[in-house]
Amino acid sequence: MQDLAARISAYAAHKLPHARDVVASDVDRIHGGASRETYRFKLRFREGERELERRLILRRDPPGSLIETDRAAEFAAYRAFHGTAVPVPEAVWLESDAKWLDHPFFVMEELSGFEASPQAIIAPPYSAFAERTAREKWTILGAIASADPDKLGVVGLLPGPAQPADAWRRELDHWTRVIDEDELAPQPIIRAAIRRLRRAPPPPPKRLHVVHGDYRTGNFLYDKEGGIRGILDWEMAHLGDPLEDLAWSINRIWCWARDGRVGGLTSKENAIRLWETASGLRADPEALRWWELFSSVKGLAIWISGGHEYQEGSNKDPVLAFSSIWLTNAQDRCALETMGKLS
Amino acid sequence: MKPEIGKLLEIVAGKLLFEVAPGVQPAYRQQSVGLTAMLLGMVREECDRAAARRVEENTALRALFGRAAPRVTEPELRRRLEAAAAASEPSLLVSALEKSNDALRALLIELHAHVEGESAAWARGVDDEIWKELRTSTERRRFSLAPF
Repeated sequence: MQDLAARISAYAAHKLPHARDVVASDVDRIHGGASRETYRFKLRFREGERELERRLILRRDPPGSLIETDRAAEFAAYRAFHGTAVPVPEAVWLESDAKWLDHPFFVMEELSGFEASPQAIIAPPYSAFAERTAREKWTILGAIASADPDKLGVVGLLPGPAQPADAWRRELDHWTRVIDEDELAPQPIIRAAIRRLRRAPPPPPKRLHVVHGDYRTGNFLYDKEGGIRGILDWEMAHLGDPLEDLAWSINRIWCWARDGRVGGLTSKENAIRLWETASGLRADPEALRWWELFSSVKGLAIWISGGHEYQEGSNKDPVLAFSSIWLTNAQDRCALETMGKLS
Repeated sequence: MKPEIGKLLEIVAGKLLFEVAPGVQPAYRQQSVGLTAMLLGMVREECDRAAARRVEENTALRALFGRAAPRVTEPELRRRLEAAAAASEPSLLVSALEKSNDALRALLIELHAHVEGESAAWARGVDDEIWKELRTSTERRRFSLAPF
């Protein structure tokens, strides 16, 4: 880590030409999403007579990951929502030149002192605040859905379809392609799901919305009273149908407490109601069911893609093997349930 | 093999989780050790059933193909269904059973897509059989640790 600290220091000094004594320290790798290597560090420097310290997060592209995504889109999403009703850390630097740290990366503010674990949220003391966390979780998701991409300045920065009518096809094509390329074994349940989705596409949204792409318990920071303090992991952010985010957030795979509460927090019906109230949109049941089934296609694509990376040896992080083995079968069961084939 | 594989993996996973992981720093490596221990727990669960579930599933798929083949009108698909139904396991090694399973499940996908395009009653019957088998296959593969 000393070498990494020195290289981060050199980069920060380059980005802060008016600062002196720029030193990165306490570099510590953390689990921060499986798509990028994540490190926290302290940055100290002098500006004039002032001695400053910032706690920052480095998100660096790895050789292989669960999700192959564009860091620029993630950075753009953080930058767009900073200072809005959607709490996010400040995006600081985006760097595509691999000469600094071997791979492209970006740097953002660290929101410290909060919890992100999906296991902690279902246990005391946090579990006592589950309804508050649920209210904030789906209210914030409603705020993301109601945001205007033009006003946020993300059109052209976030990937997306040309027309709202193409939102479903773009996403389904993408994740089907991931399955085609990465599956280590035939997937008859998800192949049947894909055929079903293509036979009966959902009605298009009236306009394109910002879609977080991985909005779930585990991807936000919460405090000791259940308040949500930061929405993280925007690596799959794009423009599309807001029901995609809602469906992903209520997928059975995230029922961490194994009691049917979505995200380990509340009932599915309450989550939908909270989202509808906050977004001003209606979650058409048939359309939502399409996106729920799509969520299982996407989930399975992510799990088998991680398993593929692990088996190929391009990334030996055990989280890839664990997620692939732990969740592939559970995702199949989710798909069966959504198709009414589980019993 | 003695001590038994399951017992061995259980003990190693427990050592990693409760004795090794707490002393590992930084937190990222500690979590990786913990995840590795949980992985071993799943390997233990799979290890015991590995051959049994594959034999059971391959047998069920061959039987399903044998019942469906005479109704299938597409000659090439019918020929391959008949060949798969008449085949048997060349070996009980898990790797060999897995190879057979991959081939059978790939053929199942083809059959499923084929019957979805047919409106006849026999096709609906095969479709029901396929869904029943897919439901059963998820139960064979289920892990006790799974969130759903």
